[in-house]
Amino acid sequence: MNSAHSIRAIQDNIALVIKGKAHVIEMVVVCLLARGHLLLEDVPGVGKTTLGHSLARSLDCSFKRIQFTSDLLPSDIVGLSMFNRQKQGFEFIPGPIFANIVLADEINRTTPKTQSSLLEAMSEAQVSVDNQTHPLEQPFMVIATQNPAEYHGTFPLPESQLDRFLMRLCIGYPALEDERKVLDRPHSLHPAETLEAVLSAPDILALQAHVDQVHMEESLTDYLLAIVQATRQSELLSLGVSTRGALGLSKAAKALAVVRGRDYCLPDDIKELAPIVLSHRVMLNRTHGMRTQSFEQAERMVLDIVETVPVPV
Amino acid sequence: MPFNQAFALSSVTLAATAFSGLVLAQSVPFWLALPTAIILIISLLHAGGVLFLRRAMAQITDSPTLWNVLLIGAFVILLIDLTVVSRDLLPAGIHFLVVLLGIKLLTLQQRRDYRHLYVISLMAILASAALTTEAWYVPIFMLYLLTAVWTLLLYHLTQETSEISAAATLPGTVACRTTFPSRITYRFFWLTNGIVILTVALTLAIFFLIPRIGVGVLQKTSGEAVRTTGFSDRVDLGTIGSVKQNPQIVMRVELPDQSAGGKDRFYLRGLAYDQYNGRSWSHSGTRQRSLNLAADGTFLVRPPGSHPIDRPSETIRQDILLETLDTSVLFAAPFAELVSGEFHTVQADAMSGIHLPFPPSSRIRYSVTSQVPQLRANERTASTLAYPDSIRFHYLQVPMGLEQVADLAHRVTQRAATPFEQTQMIQQHLLENYRYSLESEVATLNHPLEEFLFTRKTGYCEHYATAMVVMLRTVGIPARLVTGFLATEWNEYGSYFTVRQRDAHAWVEVYFPHSGWITMDPTPTISAAVATSRWELLSRLAESVRLQWDRLFVHYSAKDQLAVVHGVREGSDAVRERMGRWVSSLGAPISQAFMRLTHMAQAFHSGMFGLITGTIVVGLSLVLLMLRDRIALWAVTHLLPKSLPQRAIVQLYTRMLRIVERHGVRKPPAATASEFARLVELEWKAAGPMVADVTAVYNQGRFSRAPLTQDDLSRVTEQLGQLQSLARSAP
Repeated sequence: MNSAHSIRAIQDNIALVIKGKAHVIEMVVVCLLARGHLLLEDVPGVGKTTLGHSLARSLDCSFKRIQFTSDLLPSDIVGLSMFNRQKQGFEFIPGPIFANIVLADEINRTTPKTQSSLLEAMSEAQVSVDNQTHPLEQPFMVIATQNPAEYHGTFPLPESQLDRFLMRLCIGYPALEDERKVLDRPHSLHPAETLEAVLSAPDILALQAHVDQVHMEESLTDYLLAIVQATRQSELLSLGVSTRGALGLSKAAKALAVVRGRDYCLPDDIKELAPIVLSHRVMLNRTHGMRTQSFEQAERMVLDIVETVPVPV
Repeated sequence: MPFNQAFALSSVTLAATAFSGLVLAQSVPFWLALPTAIILIISLLHAGGVLFLRRAMAQITDSPTLWNVLLIGAFVILLIDLTVVSRDLLPAGIHFLVVLLGIKLLTLQQRRDYRHLYVISLMAILASAALTTEAWYVPIFMLYLLTAVWTLLLYHLTQETSEISAAATLPGTVACRTTFPSRITYRFFWLTNGIVILTVALTLAIFFLIPRIGVGVLQKTSGEAVRTTGFSDRVDLGTIGSVKQNPQIVMRVELPDQSAGGKDRFYLRGLAYDQYNGRSWSHSGTRQRSLNLAADGTFLVRPPGSHPIDRPSETIRQDILLETLDTSVLFAAPFAELVSGEFHTVQADAMSGIHLPFPPSSRIRYSVTSQVPQLRANERTASTLAYPDSIRFHYLQVPMGLEQVADLAHRVTQRAATPFEQTQMIQQHLLENYRYSLESEVATLNHPLEEFLFTRKTGYCEHYATAMVVMLRTVGIPARLVTGFLATEWNEYGSYFTVRQRDAHAWVEVYFPHSGWITMDPTPTISAAVATSRWELLSRLAESVRLQWDRLFVHYSAKDQLAVVHGVREGSDAVRERMGRWVSSLGAPISQAFMRLTHMAQAFHSGMFGLITGTIVVGLSLVLLMLRDRIALWAVTHLLPKSLPQRAIVQLYTRMLRIVERHGVRKPPAATASEFARLVELEWKAAGPMVADVTAVYNQGRFSRAPLTQDDLSRVTEQLGQLQSLARSAP
């Protein structure tokens, strides 16, 4: 299957459900192709879960949804070993994480212990239970959502764990016209349920391999690193972007190039992705803002910093 | 008044001021002045914002080819003017300038048109300055100065405002939208004018208050003048010795009429001495005579009323650059007839020495024409010579108690039949029997001459010369001692003699009634070190360059300017004449025409030649400047190796950025190529498609792995060409 065609198909498919959010959908696909995990941060009811759901439905692969609550345990995610009487031994019962697409709803509602079990699985692509290592299925993508409006009774993710997410996206309210379309839809079925898969797991793996082949010119690498350096040296930020962040930006830029039908990166790819990929990895300087940082604030800061870095000619 | 309007108004006023300067200098004929004046008035009204004119002008000046056609027409008119009508370069040039001004005013659209207008105005005001010394020029010039300051100020301001507005509309930038003024306030107007007037007043004050000095302020002053000896009223035997080792340069002597290396010895006469007291020489007469200044700025050394005596002589012209010395003597070949230089008085003494009233405080340049007397054949063979009384009185004096020397003189000359032979024998005797040496401790000697002649038999030039003079006098031949420099070091690169301290010399002048004073030198030639080493040659080359610098720049004066103007005037006649001849012989074979051309070039006055070369150089550089973008494009697409299309596309893209920037849309450094293309689309819609196209190719060629094809590059070149012509025609 033609890669450009399949990428187009998956975007169109999701767009059937999520109206007027072409850019967000594009970014979700970029995240998928870059082998990254996605953090959706927005107020309730704008379609975070639906987005994850639609993506999963569009792909011909397994999908699990975990609703995070304060009493959720790590074993509820990764699974547990149980004694099997017939076999006279322990048997591993895999948790919901053993799926291609895992939707982790309200990730900040659970305890750090449970959070960390998920995040370990995200970065290692495997889980260890009772000294036994169980590799996760490929492709593997976690879509986590969290609600920024409400902090009461939550456990905000620490920076080190936020770093594991490739992107943090905000969906935002749809435009009036698009919202009307959502309302006009017949309510008999959940819209995501009607979607048909357009891409198989091997297709996705092939696309992911294709992303690795994308050419990033030397000066572009320098440009990317200059942006990263600028975040580390900026007075606005008390914590700059990590090397993992730089790596993530590079991967995402390559994936965006593929999504846009190129086999080489442009400065525009990096510049466009920088706020989305980097803003959740930085910490605002306390003297410059409130103690808790909002999504918009951080994104604004990263944008400002990117505007100070000259683009190679 | 808004900036743009004020800018246009002040630009046209500037042109009008310059034009009125030319008209007042009466160098613009009526048939040319009238239409230009009408164009000026129309332009003024147009700039002032009269609406119907604005529309009419827009229709006229919309055509981009109009300017080219008019320009070619003007050039043809210039040629006709030069050959038929005014037949002179200067008026023809001024007419051309006025025509150019009119055309430019008609086609005033872009910023660079304004720049051209300023250049033309500047040339016009300079031309009128050259043509007049009248008082009306002062207010015109003041007005020009004021409008020029205003115009440049407004030019800058309008540019700035357009740039700021371009920067402010950039998406994503945190543009600092300062409240930039866009109108001229009264305060601004008066403040600026006040500053200009104050500056001019201050300049005038400084101009009149600071005394004129002909030397550089930081130049070496007389405190560091070169110490010389031997040019005072007395010559003590034994003082030259110390100087003889010093290689410091005291002067450079050019011989414009002599062929290179024509002479290997050149005597530069300083002062003559007639009285010898046994130990030192001195002048008897101290009477100084100021020389008459002739009309052409030269001083005649001959006393007024005296006629040149008919003597066989050789005329030598010398241009001398004299370093700062502690003597006022002007050195020259014997004997100076005409002296010219940057001084007001020159004095001469009774023995043909010339000098300034006081030692010069800086290096000076002067020219001397000398008549070198030659011995007549009949005096060479005459057995007796009748000397005038005044000569006998002055130049036969010998101190008491030199019988021994007199004996020697008589013994040496006993076989001589004529005075000339006697002279030669004494010279020969000294040359052959004595050894030249600088190491003589004469300070304690009471009788240096006898010591030299009979005991030591070694000495240097002053000993030889003194001995010869005294011996000649004892046998009754009038003679005198002369000091000066003996130049032997010929600089072949600059064709001049370099004279150093160690070239200081003393020699003898012998009197013959009809021939005059004949130079004789009894000192054996010291074999000068032949300059063969490479370093010495190099140093000579450097020396000659320094001399040229001094002549062409340091001593360039108003007189020289006048000379250049005269040269141009004469040269322009020659050009016209030759051009007519050349045109008439166009039918002749090309080889003949070429021969004629080279002949013409040879016949040109050197100033004219320089002028033409200058014009060609300026014209060429203007053409290059105008075509620099095209040339660069061509170079990028044709000269770069084909394996480097990536570099080529970067250069082409940079070129595009420059074109667009000239239009006022600048690429912010943090904007990517695509963002910039969108910005251009917003700011300069007409250029949008081209910029987008170039950007697409650039993005692909610059960042992808696949190299661009030649087709891509030539397409980009084509787009850039279109963009450029768009930039030319766009307002």
